[in-house]
Amino acid sequence: MIAGWKHNGDVIMVEQMPILGGYIGGIEETAICDVATTLTSFTLLNAHYHLDGPIHVRWGMTTSRETLQVAGHVAAAIDAHTDLLVANQFYTIAGPCTEMCLFEIAAQALLDTASGRELVSGCASAKGVSEDCTTGMEARMLGEVSAAAAGKDVDDVNALMKKIVRSYERQYLTAPQGRTFQECYNVRKVLPTKEYLRIYDNASETLRELGLDLPN
Amino acid sequence: MASIEKALTVYETYLRSERGAKVTENVWDNKIVPNAALALKEKYDISFGDEFIPTDPDLKKRLFQAGMEMLVSVGIYNVDTERIIRVTEDEVRAGIRAAPKRVQLGEYGDKVMIEPRKGNSSKKPVIQGGPTGATVSEDMFIPMIQSYAQEPIVDTIVNGVMATVGGVSSTTNTPFEIMGTLAEIRAVREACVRAGRPYMAI
Repeated sequence: MIAGWKHNGDVIMVEQMPILGGYIGGIEETAICDVATTLTSFTLLNAHYHLDGPIHVRWGMTTSRETLQVAGHVAAAIDAHTDLLVANQFYTIAGPCTEMCLFEIAAQALLDTASGRELVSGCASAKGVSEDCTTGMEARMLGEVSAAAAGKDVDDVNALMKKIVRSYERQYLTAPQGRTFQECYNVRKVLPTKEYLRIYDNASETLRELGLDLPN
Repeated sequence: MASIEKALTVYETYLRSERGAKVTENVWDNKIVPNAALALKEKYDISFGDEFIPTDPDLKKRLFQAGMEMLVSVGIYNVDTERIIRVTEDEVRAGIRAAPKRVQLGEYGDKVMIEPRKGNSSKKPVIQGGPTGATVSEDMFIPMIQSYAQEPIVDTIVNGVMATVGGVSSTTNTPFEIMGTLAEIRAVREACVRAGRPYMAI
């Protein structure tokens, strides 16, 4: 496929999702392999940019404390020593129309932006495994938090992330599935329901109180 | 003067995957990779503590070196040929040098540039919105993608997987996989048009 894309002059994105807790081992070992495979994309597969996505073997999410640590360290290491274009993708354990989902997205958007990634991609809400459990509102949160995080001091981002991650990381076993797209949007008009807008506003207000400059 | 390595092409990668050392996937997964990763973690004294983003330049350097050594000393496995592809550090560095530093995504009024941010620049990353590979029912596909494309903060679209095409499951290795893929592309483009952003990158 890559040979065909090369000859077509296409932009080539190479995606790879290292599994934390699989055969590679722990956080640091996974990060070492993630650096290696990121470099592989540009060395062997002629990528224009690389899409990462460290994912938790048990929870199927990229927003766990451990997988965020992998992604943050790898991006910062690549950023400090190359000018490669690197991206990350979002898999939350909670589904649309829930504050937990929005907080998970906020945590990773802070991380990816402050660790120097050039593109953020999401979101596969509810682990990306339930049909129609994804909506544009999650991308709104991803974008607004990324814009607010850009330029912030990394120490401040680390401190803020600790608070946000702590707010949801004890709820994985009972994470809400959320609603389907057709349940939380007016499908004909393609507009979010009042319920989802209220939940979004509540989550945004909490993030503002924590120090994020989000639009009102 | 030392010669400068050229970046590898995907063709050279393929040829190396035909003639590299042969190992089973089981040995690669359960022995070679975990053993090497653990050894490099210890060699480079890598520990993250409770930080999410490192602020210590030396830790970033050691992690980069460990990753580079992982790639060069272990290689990359081709599961189809069951062989290891080897590269040198010079070749990796040539690949880094040759990689694009600025890429245009989308066209005309809907284009965005992806370029190095270097640390936490005040320039936000490119925002790619979409289901990120999650399954989407055929009937909901266009409005759902439109829900991303109409968000002003979203710059480009990442696709979802259309569950069926014409009511038939788009199963891997069947003709419906091709039909489904093409239907997805048309539907994503239609959603972008409906959002008034016809030239967004998809």
